[in-house]
Amino acid sequence: MIRLSLLETALLLGAYVALAGCYGLVYAIARLQDSAILRRAAAIVYALHGITAITIVLWTPLEVVWKGLIVASSVAFFAIPPITWRHLQRTHESEVHQ
Amino acid sequence: MHRSQQLALKYFAAAITLFGVMTLSGLLSAYYYVNPDFLFGLLHFNIAKTLHIDTMVIWLLMGFMGAIYWLLPDEFGRDLSGIRAAEILFYVFCAAVAVVAVVFVFVQYGSSNETALWLINQGRKYVEAPRWAAIGVVVVMLVFAYNVIGTAYISRKITGIAAVLMIDLVPLVLLYLIAFPAISNMSADLFWWWWLVHLWVEATWEVLIGCIMAMALMQLLGTSRRIVEGWLYIEVALVLGTGILGLGHHYFWIGTPNYWLTIGGFFSALEPLPLLGMVIHAVYDAGAHRMKTTNQPAFYWLMAEAFGNFLGAGVFGFMITLPQINLYAHGTQWTVSHGHFAFWGAYACGVLSVIYLVLQKTRGLAHVNGTLWKWSFAALNLGLIGMAGALLISGFAQAFVERAIGGSTHAAFVAGQENKWFIEGMIARLIFGFVFAIGYVVLVYDLLTLGRRARLVAVPAAAE
Repeated sequence: MIRLSLLETALLLGAYVALAGCYGLVYAIARLQDSAILRRAAAIVYALHGITAITIVLWTPLEVVWKGLIVASSVAFFAIPPITWRHLQRTHESEVHQ
Repeated sequence: MHRSQQLALKYFAAAITLFGVMTLSGLLSAYYYVNPDFLFGLLHFNIAKTLHIDTMVIWLLMGFMGAIYWLLPDEFGRDLSGIRAAEILFYVFCAAVAVVAVVFVFVQYGSSNETALWLINQGRKYVEAPRWAAIGVVVVMLVFAYNVIGTAYISRKITGIAAVLMIDLVPLVLLYLIAFPAISNMSADLFWWWWLVHLWVEATWEVLIGCIMAMALMQLLGTSRRIVEGWLYIEVALVLGTGILGLGHHYFWIGTPNYWLTIGGFFSALEPLPLLGMVIHAVYDAGAHRMKTTNQPAFYWLMAEAFGNFLGAGVFGFMITLPQINLYAHGTQWTVSHGHFAFWGAYACGVLSVIYLVLQKTRGLAHVNGTLWKWSFAALNLGLIGMAGALLISGFAQAFVERAIGGSTHAAFVAGQENKWFIEGMIARLIFGFVFAIGYVVLVYDLLTLGRRARLVAVPAAAE
């Protein structure tokens, strides 16, 4: 690994997860307030996360297997908020009906 | 109030006291980096650091035990069995912690013989307590396990949360046995030592706090048992699935086979995924209750736990967990930064949330709010985030100058320690450490005087 790329790669990895968290947070608030603007904001944040992932894949000296993990994790990060939200809604609604 | 709940209050008092010792010894450790000659020949850095880390482990453990002793009688509908033994052992536990601390400060170290191992220090990082005290910890944990499992047996009642808790107590006790040094080969010894450190922190403690938070959520937000148990199973499965084999991310520089680095990197890289689910859950709960409960501090500390865990363990952890980064970052202030943030988010915030929840009940408060808790919440979190950020900068400098450029030679170590970024990061850490300490003082004052001030707030709230 080239010396400076150690710090660059680490910062990109941190930004990658932080943006995934921001996406989840904005997505959840958008669902909570039923706000179209916030939904678009969530999409923008996820796009930034995607750009970070692409940068990691194309630009960093990580081995191919780790780059594959980054791509797979991005797909999981995209799916987790809506799946979690639906599951939460379902369990709470069924609780209310009971 | 059940006897075990009275015992819980004592455990919380001891936990908060040790939280203070941890903060003070942390400040001392931070100051050594700014002024290495401080207390030269009297009290060395390693003693302050040992006190800082060991009291961190013990205050969190006491906080967990207090939470379980408080919440479990409601779960079983009766007091815990064997509570008399637990009451006696509480005082033995506190006395042992005090004696060990005094020995660490005033005796410090002994010769390389069995006597020193038994009476002064076992010489194992994070579990330095001498052998007699380590045996005492095992006895306390065994009685604690009996309190839980024995009560379930006598009451013939096992809820989902209690079942998870009982299963968790077995590895919690067994893993601590690794604290007793038995292997002379250093690689083999460190291999197993990490089982204790990692599997306590990233497996058994995660499950323990999951059980505690599940019971606390039912009391704090009135969430139904079916929902919290469903989430407990999912989150425990995901956390254990990613956490157990994440063990390999510690196996650097100790002579373990290379495949551990790949296994550890892979599984620990998956750890942010369940943490994101927890963030979504926290936002859902916050929205469902419109950020309003009868206990605002407990609620906010609960939220801080979800977000702090994601940031500390997820973001800060992911930065260093892949082997190509970890190779350089391992054992630098970079990992210290991650450790501070992750412990705070995953455990400390949860314990503080439960303490506020308990105080509301013991002091008969309809509502808990006010301004003081907000100041302590802000100062503690600002101080912690500031410390983690400052340590991160120092860690960057260390990993870059000492490891990547210098190749980990002794000269490179010195160059790393003298680097301007490293030094300024350490100064900033000390400053934020003081902010954290102020937050602690305000927290203690708030906890001690909560009833009086909260009643003043509660009167108009009740009149509405």
